[in-house]
Amino acid sequence: MIQERRILYEHLDVPGINTFDVFRQYDGYKRFEKTLDEYQPDEIADMVMKSGLKGRGGAGFSTGLKWSFVPRDIEPRYLCCNADESEPGTFSNRYVLEKNPHLLIEGILICCYAMGIHTTYIYIRGEFTLGKRMLDQAIAEAYEHGYLGKDILGKGFDLDVYSHPGAGAYICGEETGLIESLEGKRGQPRNKPPFPAVSGVFNKPTVVQNVETLCNLPFIVDKGVEWYTSMGPTYGDTRFDPPQADQNTGTKLYCISGDVEKPGVYELDLGLTCEELIEVAGGLRGDRVKAVIPGGSSAPILAHYELDTRLDFTSLTLAKSMLGSGGIIVMNDTRNIVDCLLNIMKFYAHESCGQCTPCRWGTPWVRDIVQRIADGEGRTSTITRPKFGVTENGRWGDTGEIEEIYEDLDLLESVANNIANVDTMTWNTICVFGIAVSWPAVSYMRKFRPEFEACIREGKLVTLPVDEATVPPEENYAYQQRIIPKLLET
Amino acid sequence: MALIKLNDLEVEVPDGINVVEAARMHGIEVPHYCYHPGLSSPANCRMCLVEPHVFFPPAGKVVPDRQLATGCTAMIRTAPPDRKLDGKFDYIVQTDSPRVKKAREDILEFLLVHHPLDCPVCDQAGECDLQDFSYRHGHDKSRYVEVKNVPPKKDLGPDVLLYSTRCIVCTRCIRFCDEVAGSGELGLIQRGSHDEIDIPRAHDGTPLQLLDNKLAGNVVDICPVGALISKDFLFKSRPWFMKKVNSVCPGCSVGCNITVEYKEDGVYRLKPRYHADINEHWMCDDGRLGYEYVNSEDRLQIPMKRENEELTATSWEDVLQLMADRLSAAEADSIVVIGSAQGTNEENYLLKKLAHDVLKTDRIGLFGRNVGEEHKFPQFTIESDKNPNTRGARDMLGAFTNGNGTAAAVIEGDKLWESLSDAKVVYLVNGSPERPLTDAERTALENVDFLIVQDIFLSDVAQLADAVLPSTTFTEKDGSFTNSAGWVQRIHKATDPPGEARVDWEIIQQVAKRLAGEFEYHFAGEIAAEIAATVPGYSEATHQQIGDGGVKLRDE
Repeated sequence: MIQERRILYEHLDVPGINTFDVFRQYDGYKRFEKTLDEYQPDEIADMVMKSGLKGRGGAGFSTGLKWSFVPRDIEPRYLCCNADESEPGTFSNRYVLEKNPHLLIEGILICCYAMGIHTTYIYIRGEFTLGKRMLDQAIAEAYEHGYLGKDILGKGFDLDVYSHPGAGAYICGEETGLIESLEGKRGQPRNKPPFPAVSGVFNKPTVVQNVETLCNLPFIVDKGVEWYTSMGPTYGDTRFDPPQADQNTGTKLYCISGDVEKPGVYELDLGLTCEELIEVAGGLRGDRVKAVIPGGSSAPILAHYELDTRLDFTSLTLAKSMLGSGGIIVMNDTRNIVDCLLNIMKFYAHESCGQCTPCRWGTPWVRDIVQRIADGEGRTSTITRPKFGVTENGRWGDTGEIEEIYEDLDLLESVANNIANVDTMTWNTICVFGIAVSWPAVSYMRKFRPEFEACIREGKLVTLPVDEATVPPEENYAYQQRIIPKLLET
Repeated sequence: MALIKLNDLEVEVPDGINVVEAARMHGIEVPHYCYHPGLSSPANCRMCLVEPHVFFPPAGKVVPDRQLATGCTAMIRTAPPDRKLDGKFDYIVQTDSPRVKKAREDILEFLLVHHPLDCPVCDQAGECDLQDFSYRHGHDKSRYVEVKNVPPKKDLGPDVLLYSTRCIVCTRCIRFCDEVAGSGELGLIQRGSHDEIDIPRAHDGTPLQLLDNKLAGNVVDICPVGALISKDFLFKSRPWFMKKVNSVCPGCSVGCNITVEYKEDGVYRLKPRYHADINEHWMCDDGRLGYEYVNSEDRLQIPMKRENEELTATSWEDVLQLMADRLSAAEADSIVVIGSAQGTNEENYLLKKLAHDVLKTDRIGLFGRNVGEEHKFPQFTIESDKNPNTRGARDMLGAFTNGNGTAAAVIEGDKLWESLSDAKVVYLVNGSPERPLTDAERTALENVDFLIVQDIFLSDVAQLADAVLPSTTFTEKDGSFTNSAGWVQRIHKATDPPGEARVDWEIIQQVAKRLAGEFEYHFAGEIAAEIAATVPGYSEATHQQIGDGGVKLRDE
């Protein structure tokens, strides 16, 4: 039986851990003190680079690498903590904010020390009213005890932290949309480049990090790089010769929801398979797994025979999906995939910011097509292929075939791919919201095409048994193309 | 200069411009909606996608970039010697590759899904980017069968209507109000596919602020589709039925470059024309909507003379003879000739020549519209001098040196009215759309024995006249204006003068001929050539050299 490895969540359930005094009893801020006493800023940045910590927000970009892009000669620089956790199926940051906000502040302190940053904005999701209250209390306590403000602990390091509530838009979780919103503008993503590391908040160099990423920092500093890299698999990146280390180190807060017996947040090493994770979460509720969404609602879906995929950044990318924010949604055999897709598409059509053309008018179009299929009004059409030959009555004429096609399924795939092409991974949109729409739309439709066809054929929402609803592995292009990465041999 | 490879062309373009502009310079169209050269580039329409090529180290060669880039934000910069592509290029870009064409088709399909396709009743039809680009780059049929959004039609301000259904949310109008006008009346409301342009409103929909700044009309020009429509032009004409000539706005001394669009029965609208140093892409609403007087029913159409205290219609022959008699009878010292700051350089030059060579008087005045308000915007200025040619008129009326080597001073303002006290015959050229007289001015003019007024309306001045000569507006004649910054620019004849009205310089020539002056001009360009030869600073101001771009006065 796989056990949870609680690091970020270790003291989460201690009563009163949200107060400074209790947090202090559990090594609170001691790791930051160690940082101040023992390390130079560059050494911290170097440790983070070596630890292989990847951003936990969704893109999985190397944190150390991101820090290295920030120009150190431009003042001021900012840290922007992304606490706008709004991906459906993801709820891990919320517990940190509500129960252990001091841990986040400690992470912020270490990051700012390493980067020489003196101002931090925490952009917190507007719906997290309790989280905001707890965070504000913690910030006030930290100021009170001299861990924030001017000349922290008499070491000459200054840091101000501000919390800023969002107004409830999904797109403000995108880093540049977040920055626009923080600046008081309409929450619409910016064109990149320039990336925030060069020109972010108020057009100054900005590090944007997820809550979970920042919370990892105190432990990396405290227990060292070797301890951190001992957790999780390190693969060999075979694009290079010899293969380069592709680290998926540390633990991840997996948010498991859907048809499992004990849904919730589980802190586990990276690299577990889907099957193992369902087991950790108390097993499946229902008879059979129909599908699993591995990384928040925007990730491509996995069919029941793809559950041996390891849940880490590299493996899921090579399996043509993504770990994203770690929001895992399990669906059992009673679920209708068309209905699930409709639910997700309604969300995205509602949340598209409307800035750029393909997303503004493509997303509602995709939703409308899925809605039509779910309502049993999906369209079929016929194609005639003329062919000359001897007809039944013995004359020379057209002997062509008439083929019936599912017009709406082709349309759905085409429209979704015109927003962002999932095969070439290119998008015509400003931000990656486009691919977050077309990824589920195309992957659900391709992997569960029989169920979509049945809905159109029968003229109503039809739920097929698992094996009938899923395309067989040999016809599943993504499954055929997937690569299982090999562990790096050292 | 940067050397770029544009499709299969190898061309040099200036450093720091974007791909859309670079392509435009070499006759290649990169379709775009949100990008406007006078505004910032948000790259939100995604129409100008192009395919830049980059060096790909593993392959060791230049390959098409993985993602397409928007041409409006893809800047061309000179690369350092070791970063040149294919050994010599600073930038390689493909604007017609299959990927680019596919992307354009897709974007156009998206742009049209909620569009009402009401071209038959849309004012923009014929000059609509959505029409043009759909025709050149788009699909021939729509795959959209869902319900279309129908946002409401809105009244944004005194001259601007918004047909929200046609809007493609390129946000050019919003950026114009923010960046050029600086007043920021427009914004986006709602989100996603429900995005709408709007002015600030209270909860019950009553406007809190109208789009009523003096530059508001420009949003209609820059709207690439038929969403923003001018109330003044609404349903008046199809664009393709109108003829166009280049001209200069007579509204103030800025001298914005414009296009006059007209039909046989009058002027229909004025549109700004690009000039890098004067008005860029813009013009103000005072100028834009200030053409109405040209089409007015009240224009002077026949010459008049005063008989029994009443102005009565007469013939040109009669009124010119009367003028000639009175002018030749008067002593040279008692004749005052007053030019107009509304008139062209050519007219004022001829008027001065008449005064100097024929009438032998040194008493030269300048008349024009009253000083108005100045308006400053972040990127535009409306000047307080409401005459288009004050500087040019001064230069022309101050030409011709006397025996002692100096020119007679041009009398302006209050001094002009004071100086009329001993005048017997005054020849005043007006031509202003409106010029009310103060009591002092009226008294001064009433005291004149014989007042000749050349005007377009029976204005305050013309009502006091003993002879009235119907003349022409800026759309009815050729000539040149000199703006306050010293740019000499041409106006062109569009419409015909009403009734028997004649072009100003012809009238002056007729007067001169009757007084035995040796004037023999056949068109305004001849006068301009003489100006170029004689007036200091105007040596390049022949009509050929002025062209459409204007010439700047030289310091001489």
